[in-house]
Amino acid sequence: MLEVLIYGIIIGSIWALVSSGFSLVFGVARILNFAHGIFFVLGAYFAILLYPYLGFFSIIPAILLVGAFGWIVYRFLISPIKQYEVMVILITLALALLVKEILLAIFKDISQSYPSLVSGLVTIAGVPVPTNRLVILGIAIVVIICLDLFIRRTKVGKFIMATSQDMEASMLVGIDVEWVYSVTMMISAILASLAGILYAQIYAVNPATAFRVLIYAFAIVILGGLGSVRGSIIASFIIGFIQVAISMFYEPRWAEIAALATIIFILIVRPKGLFGVE
Amino acid sequence: MKWLALVSLAVLTILPFFAPQSVVYLLGLTFIFVVYVVSWDLIAGYAGQINLGHTVFIGIGAYTTALLQNPERLGITIPHLPIWVTIILGGLMAVAFGFAIGAICLRLKGYYLALVTAILPLICIQLLNVYSDVFGGYEGFSIGFESSLASSLIAEYYISLIFMLICIVAIVYVVKSPLGIKLKAIREDEELAEAVGVDVVKYKLIAFCLSAFFAGLAGAVMVHYRITVGPDLFDIPLMLMIILAAVIGGLGTIYGPIVGAFLIYLAKNYIFVWIVQKLSLNVSDEIFLYILLIIIILKSPEGMFEKVRRMFS
Repeated sequence: MLEVLIYGIIIGSIWALVSSGFSLVFGVARILNFAHGIFFVLGAYFAILLYPYLGFFSIIPAILLVGAFGWIVYRFLISPIKQYEVMVILITLALALLVKEILLAIFKDISQSYPSLVSGLVTIAGVPVPTNRLVILGIAIVVIICLDLFIRRTKVGKFIMATSQDMEASMLVGIDVEWVYSVTMMISAILASLAGILYAQIYAVNPATAFRVLIYAFAIVILGGLGSVRGSIIASFIIGFIQVAISMFYEPRWAEIAALATIIFILIVRPKGLFGVE
Repeated sequence: MKWLALVSLAVLTILPFFAPQSVVYLLGLTFIFVVYVVSWDLIAGYAGQINLGHTVFIGIGAYTTALLQNPERLGITIPHLPIWVTIILGGLMAVAFGFAIGAICLRLKGYYLALVTAILPLICIQLLNVYSDVFGGYEGFSIGFESSLASSLIAEYYISLIFMLICIVAIVYVVKSPLGIKLKAIREDEELAEAVGVDVVKYKLIAFCLSAFFAGLAGAVMVHYRITVGPDLFDIPLMLMIILAAVIGGLGTIYGPIVGAFLIYLAKNYIFVWIVQKLSLNVSDEIFLYILLIIIILKSPEGMFEKVRRMFS
């Protein structure tokens, strides 16, 4: 049981990085980004590609590259058609499939991992846990706290908050809303790519991971309430526990089916999610 | 417009007598694909509900008829049913599933339907692999020649053509009926429709079930046409192809997506495959579908057909 708790928190912290970015973009710009899983996978692949040259410093250019990619995706693909909500969904889905096919052509259908940052094993209350996973947990928590501080304390963060609350009023007081959307998309991409790199240290990524990640991300944002960043962070840990419990006591391949069952259950019982607003 | 439709129908009717077999076979597949696209347009274009899991209905229809024709895979014995019975049962099974999903998601406004339906195909494929001894896993299975639509290719072609025509007529009848007008009202403004007394959830659900029915039928007919069933009928590339065909034709126009479906299905099977072979790329030809979809959405988010029509009028 304690095992489920510890491993659930670790995977939950990775999902928190994924889903907070997804929620942020939806909350601020009302964009459902089906290409979010692509940021996750690209982050991992860039870091793996650059590792032979830069070692662990490859994480930094990898997440910056994906951040730039997120900016480009917003500027050139989403921004021109933003008033057509359906088309935004379709274009991000098409982009996700396109990038997945390109990755498949380059890397083939082989799962790859990123080397562990540290080695060793520590025992927490009788449960052996690889030290690396604790480092991952630490990184994820620090980044999430930084995100929270960034949004609430900095000027850019306040622009983001203002835009999410009232887009037109923000324009009136002189906020460049388009710029805010681009920055939000970039932050979201950076968070997802970091999550991808951390995930690739524990498990492995292949091009199809992009869509598996989407299943969890959707389950989390619906559980946490669409658009609520804090709700998604809490929901991430719940989904993390469910996933680890099913993988340990039953079969890993049922974990995604359980995620879907969670979604259906929440939609029946409490459609606005745990912390959602109407 | 009407003349164009009649002339193309006449051409399609006499085509099997002089076209090569491979072309006839592919056109037969195209007719069924047209039904996928038109049934998706009914819910996405007319009712404005973004269903990204249309392939789930296709797949359920397909596997239902395939398993009923091969009940030994399920480990049950049932009397042998004629294929038209199992095809209709496939459609009804899709409706039952559509009703369950629709009843949960359609009462909620906003994005829930898109989110849930987007992951359904992935989950279904996962289930096909978990129970691979029943569903045949990644490979699918062959349903046997004795279960084919007809004994000759030409007969299959005509059955497929008639099936498409019946479905188109039925769907056009639906969208022209008072139900179609209510659906349009829901698409344009859900709250306003509710305010003038349209039971929004009920009509969305009816449209969703109708769309599921035609998709399930088409999936089932597809299985008997090509005698194999496989997870490709569930998969996202097929979904994207359906979306692309409808978007090219213009959502919510029924006739536009029919044209789009012919263009895309034939382009994919002739032009894209040819390009990949010519350039000897080691990528799937689907990559062109995605690029094309991105370009078309950027160039004309309101639909290509609409643009062309406005140019001429």
